[in-house]
Amino acid sequence: MLHTNTFGNLKYVLPALLVYTAFVLLPIMASIVLGFTEWGGIGMPKFVGFANYVALFSDPMFFKALRNTAVLMVFYVALPLCIGLALAVAISNIRPGERMALRMLYFMPYVMPSAVLGIIWRWLYNPIFGPLNQVLRAVGLGALALPWLGDFNFALPAVGMVATWYYLGFCMAIFMAGLQRIDASLFEAAALEGASGRQTFRYITLPSLLPEIRIVLLLTVIASIKSYDLVFTMTRGGPANETLVANLYMYQLGFELNRYGYASAVAVIGAIFILVVNGIVHRVLPTDGDNA
Amino acid sequence: MSARKPADQLMRAVLWLFGVLTVAPFALLVLTSLKSREDLIAGAFVLPDRPHFENYVSAWVDGLFGTYFLNSVIVVLPVIVISVVLGTLCDFAFAFLKLPGKPLLFGMLLVGMMVPTEAFIIPLYYEFRWLGLINTYWALILPQVGMSIPFVTLFMTSAMRQLPKDLIDAAVADGASPFRVLRYVVVPLLGPSASTMSLFLFIWTWNEFMIPLILVQDDATRTLPIGMLFFQGKYTIDIPILTAGAVITLLPIVIVYFFFQRKFIQGLTAGAVK
Repeated sequence: MLHTNTFGNLKYVLPALLVYTAFVLLPIMASIVLGFTEWGGIGMPKFVGFANYVALFSDPMFFKALRNTAVLMVFYVALPLCIGLALAVAISNIRPGERMALRMLYFMPYVMPSAVLGIIWRWLYNPIFGPLNQVLRAVGLGALALPWLGDFNFALPAVGMVATWYYLGFCMAIFMAGLQRIDASLFEAAALEGASGRQTFRYITLPSLLPEIRIVLLLTVIASIKSYDLVFTMTRGGPANETLVANLYMYQLGFELNRYGYASAVAVIGAIFILVVNGIVHRVLPTDGDNA
Repeated sequence: MSARKPADQLMRAVLWLFGVLTVAPFALLVLTSLKSREDLIAGAFVLPDRPHFENYVSAWVDGLFGTYFLNSVIVVLPVIVISVVLGTLCDFAFAFLKLPGKPLLFGMLLVGMMVPTEAFIIPLYYEFRWLGLINTYWALILPQVGMSIPFVTLFMTSAMRQLPKDLIDAAVADGASPFRVLRYVVVPLLGPSASTMSLFLFIWTWNEFMIPLILVQDDATRTLPIGMLFFQGKYTIDIPILTAGAVITLLPIVIVYFFFQRKFIQGLTAGAVK
């Protein structure tokens, strides 16, 4: 080991830690402090203790945002997880070359900037000249050609479907990697014993993929809590806050209404949710020793 | 397991159908970007009379996508270089050197990995106002480097652990200083990890939305995703030009993705599972 001068070694970490502390760690701490204040952006913030948090828990807008996030979880978490898993299993019967080509197609949205995808989908969903409604009219489903993003009932699922499209390939790729990890002899033994496809899935595939399910849950739940780019570019929270999410509320409170203290409290709650989810997923689905 | 049964063939067809549908929006994007406004009225799936490449000229020049593109490049390159250099230095010390308070330092970095940008964007905005750096490239580069450092450090630590320990011990036994060990033994072996990391940094920075949305309010320093947002707000909806701009924004990513897709998908999924 190279340990000539312990404190001298700090020169290797200091540049990185300085940039990180100045532009990430200190702002995080400032956010926590700001959450206990009332501040309009000018002058000194006024300390108000837990008043922001108390107000938050009787704020109907905040609960609306939480409710919307809960609905979005169907599209951010449940659908990508289930469909991704089904696709990964279905695709495992296909020749490797073809499998990789398919994986490339499904994975593609995940590398794109979600803000730009939101703008593209706004055009695809456009009620008058949007391609989606043109297809629906062409196949005789003109009655379904709704003003998707402007509809009170369909705006949130319409945004959600884009998230499903975005995360699906990512989940599938994780499950594909997981399936490769499973010992092939397990499947052979199951086949010899005459297990049905469903039994094999239930008793071999699913339990073996628990680590992957855990990671997919973790990442997609966090993504749903953080959801911002897509909503911002597609609906800005409308119509009538039907697609409002916590981070968008934070943005409106801060950068549109200058209520920075209250906005920081919203941001802190969001960060706490993420830490809690992290803890729960790690506890409920233990890693049983392998990768972690 | 060969797919010869009719059921398997059907499944295969379904998988391809959905795979093609997944990327269909991108194909439609390219098609629309080559249309005139008149073509557009004929229907979304009708081919244009001829490819209207002038939409790209309009997007690049009048739509300012040329400026946005240049800004994205000006921001992405330093972010990659600075993050990889600082991250590697930091990492080397974490992996091989004795440091005072090492667990504490490492814990500090972990905080930044878990807390999303949204949670500290307000203080960050006021910090950059105080520094007088709003609307500068610094406002885009410095926070991005700060956010990248924990990821580089964690990613490279596992790469460093896989280096042959004997080689490093031998270098130390020969009386090499830590810096010489880093420069002549560790760095030459880190090439593959550093290149994968650079790919991710490229994508993350190119795609970043929140930081440039808040810290930059001037077309002269806006990057592509934000430029596109403001283009959409500024003009009456000129779909062919908007889609041309979208293609300009996405093309560098698509190129990188096609060339490195295996590395990419493996890195992103393996990185996630670790």
